Amino acid sequence: MEGIEGQIPLILTAGIGLYAAIRIVAERRTLRKLPYLNVLSFAVAASVALLIPHPLALAAAAAYFVGSTLESNAIASAYAGGPERQ
Amino acid sequence: MLGEVIRILAASIICWVLFVTVDILFKLPEKGGVSGAAAIGRQIRADGGDLLGGNMMGNIVSSPDASAGTLLASCGVFIAGIPGGLAAAALVFIGNRICHDPGYAGTTGAVLATFVVYGMTQVGFAASDFIAGTVIAILTIQGLFHIPASRVLGRLWRWRA
Repeated sequence: MEGIEGQIPLILTAGIGLYAAIRIVAERRTLRKLPYLNVLSFAVAASVALLIPHPLALAAAAAYFVGSTLESNAIASAYAGGPERQ
Repeated sequence: MLGEVIRILAASIICWVLFVTVDILFKLPEKGGVSGAAAIGRQIRADGGDLLGGNMMGNIVSSPDASAGTLLASCGVFIAGIPGGLAAAALVFIGNRICHDPGYAGTTGAVLATFVVYGMTQVGFAASDFIAGTVIAILTIQGLFHIPASRVLGRLWRWRA
């Protein structure tokens, strides 16, 4: 059991990311996929920071997270009919 | 090992309370910040959930909110202590502007989380506990059951109002 000591956060975040990916594939309604995609982004950004404890990894994790969020934002807004409907 | 699991669970509760409080103080459930967030709220209501809770979930999807701030601040503290957490807050601020979010929930959440996480590392927690804890906390809202989660968030919002 010593092997996984200290690795539990990474096992959890990677496992949650895998679970979220399965939920995204299983969910049929696009707008309901997006919260699962949000969980996946959290899990991937967390795993990047846990795997690579380097300041540039923080920038990479944040850039990945913001990019993924912007994509979700764009997909949801496109489904809603675009900004002109507001 | 059991101690680490218990610390992660405690960290997830702290993170949940922290970012839900900040998001509700910044009125995330009130309306969708962008049209896509409102559309997610309406979809969740159409499926039997709460519109206001759904709006908040839509807002969390559409722009880095306090939960994202908590995650990135935890990563920042894990990598570089308080300066890392504050750098993460700056990245969240830039991310908010990129996502057309006029609010400051993400930045506020990141700054608060930086000091909370750093404080907890002084009393036996590890910053990595908070990274995993935040992912678990967001899982309970966005990744398990959307309809009950939206009702809980809606109830918290009405309680604040």
